[in-house]
Amino acid sequence: MSSIPAVKVDHLKKHFKVYKKKPGFMGSIESLWHREYETVKAVDDISFDIEQGEIVGFIGQNGAGKTTTLKVLSGLLYQTSGSVSVLGYNPWKRQAAFQKQFSLVMGQKNQLWWDVPAMETFLLNQTIYEVPEKQFRNTLDALIEILDVKDIINIQVRKLSLGQRMKCELIASLLHNPKVLFLDEPTIGLDVVMQKSLRDFIRQYNKEFGATIILTSHYMDDVKELCERAIMIDRGAKVFDGQLSDLIDKYARNKILSLAFSKPVQKKLLEKYGIVKNWTGSTATMLVPRKEATKRAATMLTDLPIHDLNIEEIPLEAIIREVFGEENRLHL
Amino acid sequence: MKKYLRILSLSWQKGLVYRADIALWRFRQFLNSLMSLTVWNVIFAQGNDLFGYSKDQMITYIFIAAFLQGMILATSLHGLASRVYSGEISFLLLKPITLFSYFSTEEIADKIKNVFFVIIESLVLFFLFKPVLIFPEGGQLILFIIWTMGGVILNFIFSLLFGTLGFWSPETWGPKFLFFIFADFSAGKLFPLDIMPEIIQNMLFLTPFPYLSFMQTQMFLGKLDMTQTLHHSIVLLSWIGILSFINHLLWKKGLRSYQAAGQ
Repeated sequence: MSSIPAVKVDHLKKHFKVYKKKPGFMGSIESLWHREYETVKAVDDISFDIEQGEIVGFIGQNGAGKTTTLKVLSGLLYQTSGSVSVLGYNPWKRQAAFQKQFSLVMGQKNQLWWDVPAMETFLLNQTIYEVPEKQFRNTLDALIEILDVKDIINIQVRKLSLGQRMKCELIASLLHNPKVLFLDEPTIGLDVVMQKSLRDFIRQYNKEFGATIILTSHYMDDVKELCERAIMIDRGAKVFDGQLSDLIDKYARNKILSLAFSKPVQKKLLEKYGIVKNWTGSTATMLVPRKEATKRAATMLTDLPIHDLNIEEIPLEAIIREVFGEENRLHL
Repeated sequence: MKKYLRILSLSWQKGLVYRADIALWRFRQFLNSLMSLTVWNVIFAQGNDLFGYSKDQMITYIFIAAFLQGMILATSLHGLASRVYSGEISFLLLKPITLFSYFSTEEIADKIKNVFFVIIESLVLFFLFKPVLIFPEGGQLILFIIWTMGGVILNFIFSLLFGTLGFWSPETWGPKFLFFIFADFSAGKLFPLDIMPEIIQNMLFLTPFPYLSFMQTQMFLGKLDMTQTLHHSIVLLSWIGILSFINHLLWKKGLRSYQAAGQ
């Protein structure tokens, strides 16, 4: 028996009409009586289902349609066509019963009241989401401890650092224990230590509450550490939906061989085994076809004075960069 | 109910953060009333009635107009269009609270704050000028309060209507500026409308603006008979109904084309 998906997107389209201004002063004058508009297809016919408890990474370049999709799923934007359902609700109807079960966290936006301490926003959210006092205190205490913000929740928000604000932002979004969480660039602008602690927290929240999470991020570490499944979007269209490992299998044709030699080896000698990316004489980095990586490594071990060899997958960042590259040259 | 009290409390806390700003804003309002009182005191120095107003009526008018300025015309929703355009309202749209109940709570908080200051300022002005003020009888006072509430609702709807501009354009200052100039003039903030030529008065009464203060002052001063009271009550209610309907349609249409900008 299959369970009902937490999120269901069916042939979703979201098109915007944007004003196209001609350049220069004369263009501005002309725009007074004649304006040209063009249709931007921010999301163009994408479909997917997400099961309850899944963490899915939304990958794509700026303007690919990730955030637009999240905004439609949150009920902020009205779709041009297609249908969406979250926990069985139509988000656009903005029913209170639905809104009490989800949260959208936008890394570049702030829901906290700027001129008062974050604690005031927490208390406001408690009343808006009608969270019982005991549950509120328990959740708040737990979140404060996990995110280590005890000392800052009573300081004016405008005096907090970006990282501190982001932590408080997460608390404000989670006080009602949402079952579905849309995280849009939650780690943007944070240092690596803070990014790591937020990732740990998101994973812990997913386990503890069985929450369904969609995550968009420019940091591939976020996606790699948190998501087994990834959905890749390019120019509003879905180009991949599956396990992260399959993404690598699909797009990465090569593996990376890192070599260290016991005595110098000529570059020319190496080129018959694969593409030499870096070479110093005593070390080299090479790209070899994925399917033959083990075999070629074995041959090289026999033929060359190698004292250390390492076979690695192509970094996810490089795969994404290549997939979305201008010429789509997939020679990884 | 708790959530509204919490919004009220937060609005006040936010409003009180910038103390110098509040002090200067109230000082400006105080100077307005002080100048009006001084000018009209000089004009009425001869003791004769002018424009159908006795000195006491005119001084009472200024006190009531100052009160109504804080109660009806001042609004916390001046920047609503830019909040809409910049996507700032997104977080409200995501929460289980309606936009209109949220905005009206913010507005109520602002009104309470204004009235608190107006009362203090009026006491100072009263002490300085020691005027004889006219107070209405019970029935008139109740109708004055009801019409004042009507004016508050009318101006709230205007503010929301201006807010919808943000769905389509970042440029809202032009129409808002025109509105403020026109509203200040036609609501009778600067002087009573009935001192103007009849043709202008007739034109103004085709608009909702006299119901943003002027009609309330007339009710307070006992200048309206039963027929006029009934007539203006119906007109006020009709404007509220018509503008609410337009407002509803525009917000519905606006939210459909909302772009939740800022990302």
